[in-house]
Amino acid sequence: MDMALPIVNATATVLARVSAAFNAPLARAVVFGVHIDGHLVVEGLLIAVIVFQLTRKSYKPPKKPLTEKEIDELCDDWKPEPLCPPIKEGARIDTPMLESAAGPHTIVDGKEVVNFASANYLGLIGNEKIIDSCVGSLEKYGVGSCGPRGFYGTIDVHLDCEAKIAKFLGTPDSILYSYGISTIFSVIPAFCKKGDIIVADEGVHWAVQNGLHLSRSTVVYFKHNDMASLASTLEKLTRGNKRAEKIRRYIVVESIYQNSGQIAPLDEIVRLKEKYRFRVILEESHSFGVLGKSGRGLAEHYGVPIEKIDIITAGMGNALATDGGFCTGSVRVVDHQRLSSSGYVFSASLPPYLASAAVSAVNYLEENPSVLSNLRSNIALLHKELSDTPGLEISSHVLSPIVFLKLKKSTGSPTTDLDLLETIAERVLKEDSVFIVTSKKSNLDRCKLPIGIRLFVSVGHTESDISALSKSLKGVSASVLSDYF
Amino acid sequence: MYPGVWTTYILILFFSWILVLSVFGCAPGTAWTLVNLGHFAITYHFFHWKKGTPFADDQGMYNTLTWWEQMDNGKQLTRNRKFLTAVPVVLYLIASHTTDYQHPMLFLNTIAVTVLVVAKLPNMHKVRIFGINAGS
Repeated sequence: MDMALPIVNATATVLARVSAAFNAPLARAVVFGVHIDGHLVVEGLLIAVIVFQLTRKSYKPPKKPLTEKEIDELCDDWKPEPLCPPIKEGARIDTPMLESAAGPHTIVDGKEVVNFASANYLGLIGNEKIIDSCVGSLEKYGVGSCGPRGFYGTIDVHLDCEAKIAKFLGTPDSILYSYGISTIFSVIPAFCKKGDIIVADEGVHWAVQNGLHLSRSTVVYFKHNDMASLASTLEKLTRGNKRAEKIRRYIVVESIYQNSGQIAPLDEIVRLKEKYRFRVILEESHSFGVLGKSGRGLAEHYGVPIEKIDIITAGMGNALATDGGFCTGSVRVVDHQRLSSSGYVFSASLPPYLASAAVSAVNYLEENPSVLSNLRSNIALLHKELSDTPGLEISSHVLSPIVFLKLKKSTGSPTTDLDLLETIAERVLKEDSVFIVTSKKSNLDRCKLPIGIRLFVSVGHTESDISALSKSLKGVSASVLSDYF
Repeated sequence: MYPGVWTTYILILFFSWILVLSVFGCAPGTAWTLVNLGHFAITYHFFHWKKGTPFADDQGMYNTLTWWEQMDNGKQLTRNRKFLTAVPVVLYLIASHTTDYQHPMLFLNTIAVTVLVVAKLPNMHKVRIFGINAGS
């Protein structure tokens, strides 16, 4: 009713005006019986112009070819852009090259160094039994499998490996992928589609981020490893939201975060998942074969029954010292991926010798569970020795085999931080023959966690290795970071 | 080409006049002036200022052409162009008549219509006065 009144008033006013105009007495100059006002001239002119234009025919403007002079001018002006942009000043591309196997001791630039840069947690690189099984497999099957799993690329060692892993973990079935990181970024889009909700930790590594991006779902990040933040995010997403009941909801976490060394508190996550009815996708690349009494991963470590976790993925390039990855869960989970997972269907299958290496590695782990306690004591020793490093502090979990050192006081810009850490790593390598790496991130990585030095502890490291590393690090960081305490 | 575009255009102008009247509660002449000036701003920006296309795969062929110049493939004085040239003039006539040719509004309306009509003349095809808006 409020809107109607002004409209009624307006139309009444217009009508009154129009009738007034018709009834107004003629008060101006009269030429041939028509009174002239200034505005009539302008209007008349406009109408004349418009009517003239409206009566013209349409035409295409003539195409004038460029004259020789214009062509020359344009060619001189043109500056081609380079096909690939020049590399910026600070980006160092000379990474050290390994000249032998990436075991606890390796050869870099002709010198033997202690290697803390390879995720060889169980020391299986160069293990006799594994090499023997690889050689046997190579002699029997050759190198490649020459086909995807669905098109004559399935070999019995693949099925053996899948059965072995499933039996080891206690799940009904598992599925193998041919490249470590493509596991997680094929599994996530196989289950999460456009319109679903994913709650992910903000510190997940690039492969997980890629999977989240490929899934086209709505992704909400929660604060890194902060269960209160996770709980409030889940609450916010589900409270009062009837639509949330009907769409699929997932939580994506890593067991040991590659970007920080933290361990996800699985018991808390499972409790939240059951309260808010989400599904959990757990990325276990760095905890499979490391955590738990017998190396069965995060679920064993926390005593959570394995059936409560919906999807577990892991790359086998770390503890198992082979390549490829696997995903396990219930029968439906694994079965769905055999037709719907891009990395499984559209890539050639895992080379058979790598699958038999994985089987031997899991056998080794089953027969020698004591390697885990050796690994834990190595990690504890490293923590103790590095606890008083000048300028650096350990920010990873005490049980994590990735020991993450970050700057105690950041310089404020990530590039200068990276420069400092790279300088430390270079000097440690050159002066003391210890090979360490920083956590360089690619340009596509959107993780905002601080960078640092990542040390991968292996069972093969001796006490002297660890003390050599700590002595060297303390010395070098004291001199490099002397302005930054 | 698409049925109803002209009618929709006219109806949008009429309904925006009603909207302005109901929101501001002003005299109808002021409302027509506001509609005229708003129409001027919007159509000038989109027809005669913005250049190029939103599609990336035409390799920048149209990067120096405004949307008015791209219309109907550069053909001048087609039916569309004639209609769109007539609309500002009709708006001007309505606006100046309903404000009874009073001064601040008449001046603004006249500027609006002059700029728009001149910009749409076929002689101004690909012409950039004083190099304004000549970049790609």
